[in-house]
Amino acid sequence: MGVPCLLFCGVSLALPLFVRAVECKDSSVKNEIISVDHPFAFNCTYPPLTSEQVNITWYKPSSKIPVSRNTQSRIHQDESWILFLPMTWADAGIYQCVIKNINSCHRIHVNLTAFRKYWCGTSRNVLPNLSDEYLQTLHFGKDDSLMCHLNFPKSCVLDLIKWYKDCKEIKEERFNTVGMKLFVKNVSAEDRGKYACQARLTHGGKEHTVLNSISVDVKKIEYGDRIPKITYPRNNSIEVELGSTLIVDCNITDVRENTNLRCWKVNNTLVDLYYRESKRIREGYESCVPFEQYNRYTVNITFLQVKMEDYGRHFVCHAGVSAAYIVLKLPVPDSRAYLIGGFIALTGVAVSVMCIYNVFKIDIVLWYRSTFRSTGAIDDGKLYDAYVLYPKPQSGSQRQEVDMMVLKILPEVLERQCGYKLFIFGRDELPGQAVASVIDENIKLCRRLIIIIVPESLSFGLLKNMSEEQITVYNALIQDGMKVILIELEKIKDYTDMPESIKYIRQKHGAIRWSGDFTEESQSAKTKFWKKVRFHMPPTRYPPS
Amino acid sequence: RQKLKILSKAEPLLGNIQDISHQVWFFQDQTLTAVPRKNCMVPVTVTLISCKCPETLEKDKGNPIYLGLKEPELCLFCEKVKDQPTLQLKEQNIMDLYYENEPVKPFLFYHSQSGRTSTFESVAFPGWFIAVCSQGGCPVIVTQDVGKTYITDFVWSVLY
Repeated sequence: MGVPCLLFCGVSLALPLFVRAVECKDSSVKNEIISVDHPFAFNCTYPPLTSEQVNITWYKPSSKIPVSRNTQSRIHQDESWILFLPMTWADAGIYQCVIKNINSCHRIHVNLTAFRKYWCGTSRNVLPNLSDEYLQTLHFGKDDSLMCHLNFPKSCVLDLIKWYKDCKEIKEERFNTVGMKLFVKNVSAEDRGKYACQARLTHGGKEHTVLNSISVDVKKIEYGDRIPKITYPRNNSIEVELGSTLIVDCNITDVRENTNLRCWKVNNTLVDLYYRESKRIREGYESCVPFEQYNRYTVNITFLQVKMEDYGRHFVCHAGVSAAYIVLKLPVPDSRAYLIGGFIALTGVAVSVMCIYNVFKIDIVLWYRSTFRSTGAIDDGKLYDAYVLYPKPQSGSQRQEVDMMVLKILPEVLERQCGYKLFIFGRDELPGQAVASVIDENIKLCRRLIIIIVPESLSFGLLKNMSEEQITVYNALIQDGMKVILIELEKIKDYTDMPESIKYIRQKHGAIRWSGDFTEESQSAKTKFWKKVRFHMPPTRYPPS
Repeated sequence: RQKLKILSKAEPLLGNIQDISHQVWFFQDQTLTAVPRKNCMVPVTVTLISCKCPETLEKDKGNPIYLGLKEPELCLFCEKVKDQPTLQLKEQNIMDLYYENEPVKPFLFYHSQSGRTSTFESVAFPGWFIAVCSQGGCPVIVTQDVGKTYITDFVWSVLY
């Protein structure tokens, strides 16, 4: 009875152990490449189980006998580690580590490959994939560090760490060894290359050398502004017709590594959420153009149909902490354009009126005078309408022309046809009167002064030596309200020889050039020349016949 | 190096996460570990996308982001295991998280940048940061023991 009971108890005790061993889950194979004659250690972990009480056992390849725990043994288990002091060619193979607790069991397979590391002076071709080389990166222009990865159990003492670059020990001041790290100040492109870190490993009184090869690259990375830039919109308004479709892009530049959110919001809510029901306004997909140091992103917002409620509302493009909005505006009639248009039209009308007035000024004034002429006499104490001043050229033909003009044509048109009264020196003075007094007295009785000039009159000095003319012009110039009508009988090319008074009159009132011939017939007050003269004459009491 | 990339739809950023001890994230046996970068080892490609609706989250801790792995398609999240915030991996499409109308807090981390390094703080458990140990082969965890035993400063670099 006792024996079967003991047997049963033994079976029942052994059964759970047996079942658990069967239940061990295999993990995928981990590969390690180890250089021979160097110490090597591998830690058996299974992260989900590490925080609990676990039982770890290492097995050699195709062996059911656990690895020795004797610290003097070249290969032994040290807590969760398997330790090779050192590794030999014969040690290569797939090792197993069984890690289990009360509830579970895992079997981890580690494939160890041995190779001969040739380092400095012992250069030989090594298969590139058969390498235990570490890859590390230094950042250009910055202070950075390299790491000597020496993973051994606590029983191993690691010290005397030396760093090598291209087989030479690093002794420059720019490099500084602290613990497992090599600090490099102000990294330059020359710091790229093959490095090695060497350490002394002491275990159980024995010394070993650990050597890690590190391939170091130098990268130039600019870490720009963390704040993205929105180049559009710029808190601007957009004019859009009611009911139309509108797409607005938001353009953002941001550093590649930044994780800023880019989106369109309204009322501080994503537009996609805000218009979740109608989907009338939606955010578009994002496009990205990568540049050397930054990315340019574009996110659009689509208004399928602009509604009244959209006007005046802020639609905000966000990129991280940056934000910029657009506001929709109804296209209002452009009042400014109307104002400008109206102004131009008015100016045009005014200019046209001025032009027309300038062209037809004379006709208009003459028509006005004939239509609204005063019937009564002008009571200004004047007896004559104009005083006629003329030269007396020496040349016969010119003298004839001047006389014809002054004594025949002027009286015919202005006196007979138009009803003016002229004072012509040499016709109207009383015989025996002194010239000076005639002029002085009579000019005061005249409303206008008509001066006839011919080119020759200059050379003979119209006003240079003849007191009669001098008095006349003097009176005309100093008397207020006396208008002067300058009539050129021929074209006068040069006024430089003229007296200052004539130049002044010409400049102030201009001159009228005679355009007809010198015959008594065919003189009409309605020709252009006579209209000009009449325009400058005072209003008549009756119109030309 | 310049090429045009027009996304037909929103996509996560793809990149690598290294730490200042030149370790990269490595995925094997459903476990994310940090191992020294070597020639013969392929680091895991990390997916990252910003949270669309960070309004309810803290403003000054960094950009709230979702973190995941490209292959296999897993996402990092934090939950309490035996009263201890723990970093876990879950089969989860990162874009599904992105399209949620509310922040999915267990999956969110505040990404804070300083110089070239970044920290990733759990949104669900403020004060708990993604961390690794400086010895190779340690799992990626969350810790509130910042700047002592664990490394919490990482270098996030984008792949194109």
